[in-house]
Formats: sequence, C-alpha cells, structure tokens
Amino acid sequence: MLLVGIVYAAATGQAEAAQRALLSGGGQAVELCISLAGTYAFFGGVMGLMRESGLAGGVARRLEGPLSRLFRFEPGEEAALPDVCMNLAADMLGMGNASTPAGLRAMRTMAAAKREPGRASSAMLLFLVLNTTSVQLLPATMIGLRAQAGAANPADIVLPTLLATAVSTACGTGICLLCAARERRR
Amino acid sequence: MGQSLLIPALLVLAVLSALHARVVAYDAFVRGAREGLETVVSVAPYLAAILTAVALLRETGLMDAAQALLSPLLTRLGLPRESLSVVLLRPLSGSAALAAVSEVMHACGPDSRAARIACVISGASETVFFTGSLYLGAAGVTRSRYAVPAALAAYAAGVIAAAQLV
Repeated sequence: MLLVGIVYAAATGQAEAAQRALLSGGGQAVELCISLAGTYAFFGGVMGLMRESGLAGGVARRLEGPLSRLFRFEPGEEAALPDVCMNLAADMLGMGNASTPAGLRAMRTMAAAKREPGRASSAMLLFLVLNTTSVQLLPATMIGLRAQAGAANPADIVLPTLLATAVSTACGTGICLLCAARERRR
Repeated sequence: MGQSLLIPALLVLAVLSALHARVVAYDAFVRGAREGLETVVSVAPYLAAILTAVALLRETGLMDAAQALLSPLLTRLGLPRESLSVVLLRPLSGSAALAAVSEVMHACGPDSRAARIACVISGASETVFFTGSLYLGAAGVTRSRYAVPAALAAYAAGVIAAAQLV
C-alpha cells in the first residue's frame, strides 16, 4: 500500500502531499489508540469478569447439542466438539484471547482424525467459515470508536451489526452445507 | 433508546455471574482491563503503519480515483463511496479496517450513513484471510477446497446486508 501510494504520488507530481501524509499517519495512530484505550480497558474488565466466572464454559455447553447436529463429523472428528463449542462461545462474547487457542485445538483434533492428510474435511470447512463470519454479539470496539467520535448514541449500531452478522453467518453455513451435501451425493 | 441499556446490562450480567461463581469481581475486572490496555499498546505500531498508508492514499488522490472507478458498483449495492476502503481492508487486516473506519468517521462525522455502514461492516465480519490462513495452517491443510470462496461469499452477503440495514 505504501509503495503504491508513493509511486502514484511521484507519477502525478505530488511529492508534497505524500510528505504531509507520511508525517501525519503516526500521530493519527497514537490519537486513535489513546481514544480507544478507555473502551478497551472497560470491555477488557467485563471480559475478565466473564472469563473468571466461567460464563464462556456455560454458553459452550449449551451450544453442544445444536452444533453436534449442524456439524457432520467424520469418524474420529467428533472429539473436537468441546473445543468447537468453546471457540464459538468465546467468539460470541468477544473473548478473542480465549477463542483462538480453542479453535486451533479443534482444527488440529479434526486434522488428526483424517485418513487423507492435507485435505480439509467438511466439518473443518464449516468451522473455518463460522470463524471468518464473526458471531460476536457486541461489537465493542466499534461502540468505543463511536463514543469517542461523539456519536449521538454509540450503541445504536448494535442491532444492524447483529443482523448483518446473522446474514453472513447464515450464508456461510448454507454454502458449506450445500457444498458438503453435493459432495456426498457424488 | 433501548440500545443504550445494553452496556450497563452487560456489566450487571458480568458482575452477577462473577458473584454467582464466587469470583472477586473487582480483581477480575482489573486483570481484564490490564489485558485490554495491553491489546491497545500491541496494535499501536500496526495502526501507525496502516494509517500512514491510508493517509498517503487519501492525500495523493489515489483513494478518490479508486472510489470514482468503483462507484457504479458501490451505488448499485447501496454503499456510500467513502466506505470502499473499509470493505476492501476488512478481510485482510483488523487494524487496517479499524484505521479505515476511524478515517471515515473523521471525514464524514460519526453519525453519517457512511460511518455507520463502515462500523456495521467492520463489526459484523472477521479478517477472512488472516483467520483462514491461521486455522488452515494449524491443521496442516494444503487443500482448502471451497473455504476461501465460501468465506468471501459470506462476507459479501454481510456487506450487502449492512448496506440495506443502515
């Protein structure tokens, strides 16, 4: 990105604009971080409460039933179910620190169960796509950003965000299930 | 109005669950808050790099050129042209998207439609490529099959939904 910008600036004869931009970016970053620090501290605190009171574990146990039906595990893969649930529960609550280790463990467990190494199974792909569509219930960073920018109601993007997440998660799940079903028929 | 209650309610829920689990709420909050602050410090260098690059693209007019080029497509999807940078950066990098959202807010105001759409897109999606390579790498997958198309299609659906909802 930097190179493209500089080449474009040189080609259009705007060395001055380029210099101004290069010297302002760092300052903007520091401002942004300071404005986000308060929100991150607050939501970090709330996450700390949730983590230490085991809330994610509770949500994860409740997800096991529905998810075991959604995922068509190949033999041996179902050992990953608790980690799959833990990962998605932590993601929902916005606890990135807790979700990634569980997610990677789930992927490794599923990978170890396969006969064909290197080939992603349908359950692995569904899990991956669920992880890329964000199932987070509260967009904490965006609320903080809006609060600091002086938005009238910083939290009023929560509902549209939830709906957009629901659409993308439903689409991702649908595509994965369709692809998996088509393959089984063959 | 009801949405203003969300965050207080979340805090009450978290404190109650801590009490229920017999955790010292104050200490747990402080430990979490420290982690939150560490996160900010750890993303600061990335934000510096990305914001510099974004500022360069904006000041030299390259961003305007790209927006003008893609504006027919954006209009058809109901997206304001200012949200282009967020749409393009979100699947690649979380801090880049964060920087882009803050740029849009700066330029258009936090309550503008462009800024709200940028927030919804950013909040409703993940870094597709980063997450994808991390998870597939951890599992030693070399044949990812329909992973990338499915994830990107889901992302596109989310973006289009955001344009309709805001």
